[in-house]
Amino acid sequence: MNTSSIIRSAVVSLLTLITMTVFSVANAATINLTKCVASMNKTMSDGASVNFWVFGSGGMSCSGGTLPAAAIEVGVGDTLNLTLSVMMAPMEPTPYNGHTIHLHGADVSTSEDGVPDTGASVMGDTYTWTPTAAMAGSYMYHCHVHTVKHLEMGMYGPIIIRPKDASGNFLNQITSNTATAFDYVQNYVFSTVDPAYHTATGDSTVFADYNPKYFLISGNEGKTTSAPAVTLAAAVNKKVALRLIGIHSVNSTFQIKDSSGAAKSFTVYVQDGRAWPTAQSMTSLDISPGQRFDVIFTTPSTSGTWYPQITYKKLRDNAAYATAYGKVTF
Amino acid sequence: MQWQLCIRLIVISLIGCLTLPTQAATRTYTLYITAGSLTVNGNGGATLSAWGYTQVAGTPTFPGPTLTANEGDSVTITVINNHNINHNFKIQGVTTDTTAIAPGANRVYSFTASTAGTYLYYDTLNNNINREMGLYGMLWVGPADGSAKAWTNGPAYSFQRLWVVGDMDKPRWNDVAGSGGSVSTSVYKPNYFIFNGKGGFDAMNDTATTIDGGVGQTALVRIINGGQFSYSLHFHGNHIQVLTLNGVRQTSPYKQLDVINIPPLGTADVLYPLNQLGEYVMHVHTAQMETANGVYLNGTVTMIHMH
Ligand SMILES: [Cu+2]
Ligand SMILES: [Cu+2]
Repeated sequence: MNTSSIIRSAVVSLLTLITMTVFSVANAATINLTKCVASMNKTMSDGASVNFWVFGSGGMSCSGGTLPAAAIEVGVGDTLNLTLSVMMAPMEPTPYNGHTIHLHGADVSTSEDGVPDTGASVMGDTYTWTPTAAMAGSYMYHCHVHTVKHLEMGMYGPIIIRPKDASGNFLNQITSNTATAFDYVQNYVFSTVDPAYHTATGDSTVFADYNPKYFLISGNEGKTTSAPAVTLAAAVNKKVALRLIGIHSVNSTFQIKDSSGAAKSFTVYVQDGRAWPTAQSMTSLDISPGQRFDVIFTTPSTSGTWYPQITYKKLRDNAAYATAYGKVTF
Repeated sequence: MQWQLCIRLIVISLIGCLTLPTQAATRTYTLYITAGSLTVNGNGGATLSAWGYTQVAGTPTFPGPTLTANEGDSVTITVINNHNINHNFKIQGVTTDTTAIAPGANRVYSFTASTAGTYLYYDTLNNNINREMGLYGMLWVGPADGSAKAWTNGPAYSFQRLWVVGDMDKPRWNDVAGSGGSVSTSVYKPNYFIFNGKGGFDAMNDTATTIDGGVGQTALVRIINGGQFSYSLHFHGNHIQVLTLNGVRQTSPYKQLDVINIPPLGTADVLYPLNQLGEYVMHVHTAQMETANGVYLNGTVTMIHMH
């Protein structure tokens, strides 16, 4: 990060702070964010370089682009104004030029939905959403132009809707239900990468056949427990919430295993941003493309390491492609 | 006391009237199996060799004809094999006879429709090739009184849509099986994703497929997957309520989801409440399945219109 970008982020943060202060009504904040699109080359575990398009911050110039994009946290009752600037964005040729943001799972009106096929501009727009208390949970924002390519290119990030207390502070709970309280929380964004989709453009027959080669959690491969994609340092006897966000293009099964490979129990409270009528504990959870689950597990009373992990599977017969690992120490 | 008893009696007789069982009907169907073709229109589209069912001997339709019954009805289905290889006929969760029907022969399947819901009928033979070539369709069973409810005293709906999804691998399966060749079934790379017998460009404009109604209405969407890939269907505009999944009736309050995954041979009944004005999409969230041979949105996609 150079000096000018530090100054720029400071100005942006200050402006955001001012906007939030000026417009907040009865602890309902207005969150104004501007996203942009940057090209990013990533070296994969086999040494190959894959080009991604990722969401960063800023309008005039794009900084902080990551795979997946930075999580956006919105309180229940807050209003999110998410602006997309496509100035300088890498693009496909027409008819798939430009980009949008779709607030996946938000059920917003057509004008906020970011779908070009129902009239969304692909040259920049502001997308507004005011989630209610019943909507606490995990969502995504992602581009909805030529999604067969643009999702694959990396144009996605988490949106987390959080309950707030009377003073407007985020509660460390998944929903307003106190049973969903947690001590630690981490986002697990699941995605898969077929490098051929990254170089093909337009209505290419490449997009008729998906052959994923890299299997990610939150942008990292995490091919073994000793090189996990994500890590979390927790403590014993604590509650850990995981936001499981599926933007992959194959079937998958999520599990948490201890160091000897035994599957550990976790509890699902919310799916697709809606509380399950009855929370359910399990040791294995299938997650299909587009699904989100908010789960909690309790660390044991003696120190150790558990590995939340996802096995990506074929759409035809659920044969495993590969497993990607996370790591939680306590 | 007497007054209360009187009211109670009136209420009981009213309930009696309302739930008076309607006469169970006899439903008779004939399905002919023949070779034909399925055309996906628009960019990326193609005409694929296919095998299917028809109700009068002739050109098969895709998916197969929809069979319907109410709980308690006697259903008799005669399947006539006018094709040149063996076929059979099974309704998942309803019939069990998987005896082969030789070319030129026929077989009769009789059962009483016992449980309201959505079922998949298909050909189980030939290592999935017969099904992949198009031999599947939907049976749906309504409550005994024929009312617009998912089941007797179950959730009510304003209108329903029947969604039959499936997939075809043109070069490796349909071209080969269609010309009498031997398909190497270990490889399956479907390049066509068929939604009610159509590609997405047509399915987005097909009024039998699109969810189209007034705000305040509720659509019951019956979904079956005759394909070999899982369909992770994502609804814009509103969350769905899952009433049944793979034949298992859920209990109220129902889970509210914006994505439902339908595995091969899977079924689901979901409610889509039309709750806001606008135009929305419903699409599979899985890369290539949104395409016809790579052409975007000519795959598993349709529209939701709320007015
Ligand atoms: Cu895009
Ligand atoms: Cu999405």
